[in-house]
Amino acid sequence: MGKGKPFLEVLASAIHEDFRFPFLELFAFLYMLGAFALANFSVSLYSQVSTNEAVAYVVTTSLIGFSLLFFLILVFKNIAYGLGSELEKGIIQTYFSYPLKRWAILTAKLLSGIGVSLLLFLGIQISAFYILAPDIVSTQLSTIMLTYAANLSFPLIISGIILLLTLQLGRGGIGLVVGIMLYLGMSIASQIALLVAQATESALGVQIISMFSPNYALQYHYRALVGASSSLWNPTLSETMLYIGGSYAIVAALFILGYIYFSRRLNL
Amino acid sequence: MSLIVAEELGKRYGVVVAVDGLNLKLDEGSVTGLIGPNGAGKTTTIKMILGLLKPDRGVVRVFGQDPWDNPDIRSMTGIVYEKAFFPAHQKTLEYLERVCRIYGVSESRAMEVLEAVNLQEASNREIRALSAGMLQKFAIAHALVHKPKLIVADEMTANLDPQARSELLELVLNLNKEEKVAFLLSSHILPELSMVCDSVAIINRGKVWASGELSDLYDKYAVGIVRVTTDRPEKLAAEVKKLNYVKDVDTDVRGFSVTVVEGKEDEIYEDVPGLAKRVKAKLLGIETGSASLQELYRLAVSGKERK
Repeated sequence: MGKGKPFLEVLASAIHEDFRFPFLELFAFLYMLGAFALANFSVSLYSQVSTNEAVAYVVTTSLIGFSLLFFLILVFKNIAYGLGSELEKGIIQTYFSYPLKRWAILTAKLLSGIGVSLLLFLGIQISAFYILAPDIVSTQLSTIMLTYAANLSFPLIISGIILLLTLQLGRGGIGLVVGIMLYLGMSIASQIALLVAQATESALGVQIISMFSPNYALQYHYRALVGASSSLWNPTLSETMLYIGGSYAIVAALFILGYIYFSRRLNL
Repeated sequence: MSLIVAEELGKRYGVVVAVDGLNLKLDEGSVTGLIGPNGAGKTTTIKMILGLLKPDRGVVRVFGQDPWDNPDIRSMTGIVYEKAFFPAHQKTLEYLERVCRIYGVSESRAMEVLEAVNLQEASNREIRALSAGMLQKFAIAHALVHKPKLIVADEMTANLDPQARSELLELVLNLNKEEKVAFLLSSHILPELSMVCDSVAIINRGKVWASGELSDLYDKYAVGIVRVTTDRPEKLAAEVKKLNYVKDVDTDVRGFSVTVVEGKEDEIYEDVPGLAKRVKAKLLGIETGSASLQELYRLAVSGKERK
């Protein structure tokens, strides 16, 4: 018996459940809709954008726009509803009867719930990019990758929190509600932080928000702000990278906690 | 060799003590019943044995190893949960073939186990479309895929019709006899357990109150029990109850069991025919030491409670 086979079979089973008809088809369509129909490439809106990197940033952000929301919905569904209901109903208990370590079962579930969603999201995004703006992809790949990294960390932080709540409570409903509240709360808090930063001429609020959602730091770095002064904060690329790295450290910490809980403490 | 050894196991949920210093042993090739009332701690015990729950205290070893997060044990153990759940949108045969691949056995085994539980006609059906009884059968087929040396089953016959129950019990006996598969069966349907078990552990309030081979337990607890079979059990039991050496009478539809003061078994043989004549009851049989598992359970529990 190959050592990797039980893991692959559990992964295949998880993918079968998470992406059964019509979820895969629906979200592939929504991602394409977000990338091809709802993206807004009006760089002229951003008066202070001057460099090629900044243009690439603005184009990438526009392309991500609605698709990121669809990505969030899919990941939240897979973790809160998928994993949560499997814990509640006892399907995880059935997986525990197979010759696999607990961490491998969680990895299979997360690869299905987040990994496949991410692949689908990035696959359609990159394809759309190549079709819509091939010149930007070929010259500004690093800026594009950085923008994706900065945009994805916050949804992953929320996913980590939903995962912990789902594991702790043994059901997904509350985790899902908390996740949506956190996401909406964070969106409102960032807008308030931006307004406060303008009013007080202090960037502290935006810097705190950037620790969780480093896209704000990148936005200030590229001066890609609509109707706001970018002179308030001008982080260097290294500082921006630090914020991105910091946010992924939070993501990693949350998921490691999830693994520890699942492997050592989860009683069924 | 003992396949399962539990020593001084303890588990509490908040202030509720579910299992309290439980000791249990299951030997190779044996069929052991775990019996007890609802809330006795059976499911918690089974979950600790399967590594789904961590004991607060004590030690549990399955095949000599700690069952918590232990894939080696899973390869040798088949599990049937009280409520079986599987990925709902997969077809029965396809899912079992997947399970075959997980365990590294031939995919043809999937159909074999479906046939063993008479589910071959549902092989193309999605798991969510199975009835409760069929799902239970499917769970049993699922537990048999990798030809385990030990099967742990919590209320295995729940949701099954009488025909399916008897087929399943036959399957248990066959697997035990021909393939030396050991079973730990928890159930509240005691007559069924008595058909297949060679030993039992009576569990109540989180502790094993009595355990051992059935014959030994009958010798220990069923002393002074006489079974009377009659067509008018209520009437005759009422008369027998009046005898001064009778401690207890337990009536059912076919007769009653009489617990007498030790050493007085012979006297009841002399008195019952006369009493039957008096109440015009047809006496169908009197025998000593044939207490049912239910009576044995009652005696073991009541004996402990008296102490």
